[in-house]
Amino acid sequence: MRLREAVREALRTLRVSWLRTVLTLFGIVWGTASVIFLLAWGIGVRDMIEGAYLRVGRNLVQVFAGQVGEDFTPAADRRTLWFTLDDVDVVRQRSRYASLVLPESHFFREVSYRQTATTLNVRGVTPEHVSLRGVRVAAGRPIRGDDLSHRRRVAVLGAEARRRLLGAHGGIGSIIRIGGQSFTVVGLLDDVGMQLWQDGPTRLDEQVWIPLTTLFLFGPRYGRDAEVVDNILLGLRDRRLRHEAEREVRAILAERLRVSLTDEEAIRTASPLASLEKLPLDQIDDLLFTLGVTTLAIGGVGILTMMLDAVQERRQEIGVRLAVGARRRDVLIQFFLETFVIAGAGGLLGAALGLAGCAALAAVAHGDLIPVPVVRWEIVAVALSVMSAVGFLSGLFPAWRASRVDPSVTLRAE
Amino acid sequence: MSAPPPVIELRGIEKKYLSGRFAVEALRGIDLRVDGGELVAIMGPSGSGKTTLMEILGCLLQPTGGKYLFKGQPIESIPPDGLARLRGEEIGFVFQSFNLLPRLSAAENVELPLTYRSVARRERRERAARALERVGLAARARHRPAELSGGERQRVAIARALVNTPSLILADEPTGNLDTQTGESVLELLFSLVRDGATVVMVTHDPRIGERAERLVTIRDGLIDGDGATGAAAPRRGAP
Ligand SMILES: Nc1ncnc2c1ncn2[C@@H]1O[C@H](COP(=O)(O)OP(=O)(O)O)[C@@H](O)[C@H]1O
Ligand SMILES: [Mg+2]
Repeated sequence: MRLREAVREALRTLRVSWLRTVLTLFGIVWGTASVIFLLAWGIGVRDMIEGAYLRVGRNLVQVFAGQVGEDFTPAADRRTLWFTLDDVDVVRQRSRYASLVLPESHFFREVSYRQTATTLNVRGVTPEHVSLRGVRVAAGRPIRGDDLSHRRRVAVLGAEARRRLLGAHGGIGSIIRIGGQSFTVVGLLDDVGMQLWQDGPTRLDEQVWIPLTTLFLFGPRYGRDAEVVDNILLGLRDRRLRHEAEREVRAILAERLRVSLTDEEAIRTASPLASLEKLPLDQIDDLLFTLGVTTLAIGGVGILTMMLDAVQERRQEIGVRLAVGARRRDVLIQFFLETFVIAGAGGLLGAALGLAGCAALAAVAHGDLIPVPVVRWEIVAVALSVMSAVGFLSGLFPAWRASRVDPSVTLRAE
Repeated sequence: MSAPPPVIELRGIEKKYLSGRFAVEALRGIDLRVDGGELVAIMGPSGSGKTTLMEILGCLLQPTGGKYLFKGQPIESIPPDGLARLRGEEIGFVFQSFNLLPRLSAAENVELPLTYRSVARRERRERAARALERVGLAARARHRPAELSGGERQRVAIARALVNTPSLILADEPTGNLDTQTGESVLELLFSLVRDGATVVMVTHDPRIGERAERLVTIRDGLIDGDGATGAAAPRRGAP
């Protein structure tokens, strides 16, 4: 009942001066729209950056071997470390934090197809690589288990490697030469796109994948054994447990390679997750949020002054209400509700505008370079609750002023 | 078995305004007793304290001294919410400047005191309609104040004062903004309310109107200067 009257009075207040109403509502409408748009856009920015970091592999931790560091001999004399497939098996058996534990080795070789020859990064992989890297096979098939067990000479090409090597002609079934040996192209990887983090000198798009066991046939590298695993790749169950996972794998490998657990140079880890943590993404979110809320607060100040004007103009009315039996509290509630209704109407309008803005940008923005706003219902909830807080605060003071009006005004008209 | 207490009993009422560096003694010790069914006219020069007295009678203003008993109950013992209830149920105001809310219809204006008394919507409508009928404006219920003449507006205001059948109607120069003829009809309406049993205290500037009340109180410099029967035994119909 009372709410309905408040709505009616609020509409009347708004109707008295539509220009003032439009200008005032503009503040709260624009403020709410900004909060929604900026927060959604913030998520879009975060998604875009995270996407670009994590394209190298979902929840990836790369483990590689260095030199024994805690040793007082000259660097050149220190023991150089490397991993074997047995090490990988042990890590796989004992790690509680990694759902995938994969070996990988690589080299650069001249790769040729017909007249074209170019130097490419060749990676020895396992069947699970596709899922760890999160890359899709666009055509053909991935490297399979039987490719490894038969040490087949088959290759899967990254999108860029394929363009450089095969050009417009070749595809699945093409015969390429890697370091003089012929390989059959059995699969083509989908375009991965911009990568802000890479585990080695090349992006996924530039790589040629062959079975790891086939890569071992190329013989010993860098003065080590032939069957050397350059990287152990972990796919974490939970990215928040990265530190635990790294500590665990270092402990397992330190024990197997008989190096000190505290030796930072012997067993090293790297992860796009660590780089992401160093980015000021939260601060960007905070900044966008602050911008939006400030706009909304300015809108609130607009409503505040409009309502103070309204109270001043309606002192006579307030006096009459008090004279005919209104309690000060009734007047307070009336003006408070009126303000709140006005703020609420502006807020809903603004929410609609913000969502429309997000939809519009989502329609034109595209892919890697322009972040697409991501609307979640939490954002709308945050925007509407900030708007409510602003409406609440800007309603309090005018309502209090209204309730302090001296009813003498009714008898002493100037 | 005792007689009902007077509607109004003032004992040595004082009101001192503190404005800036000066204190204005608007009322300096008013003793007044008004019984149920009386029509009391109050006259006095401008600035003598008439409006201040009306504000105190209407519980819009607290006196700075003295005692005010409303129907036997001391006003200072009533909490603010109780005073609001008193204004809504026991007292009806008629103002010189009408004080209708411009954005409400006549009927809605009349309903206003009831909206603060949590009277059901239906009953509010009915009582407002009856009050408008009593002042002869049933046909104008849906009109806005701006669509009414001065006399009609004041009659709507009287209907608003009546709607709760109050124990006391206070009118501060109710004809002050009206020409003689419409003023006369408004006055006649107030007199007829007294005939029906209402208690009315009315401030007026016009000695001819004062003469027609059964009792005339004159105020000068915040003190009662005269208080007595006018000879007009009861409000009469007809010319001055
Ligand atoms: N709010 C106020 N502050 C200070 N002085 C006031 C105030 N209201 C009235 N007065 C003074 O009190 C005196 C009585 O005023 P009022 O009751 O309005 O007289 P009347 O209605 O008889 O003209 C006047 O001198 C007036 O100036
Ligand atoms: Mg006066």
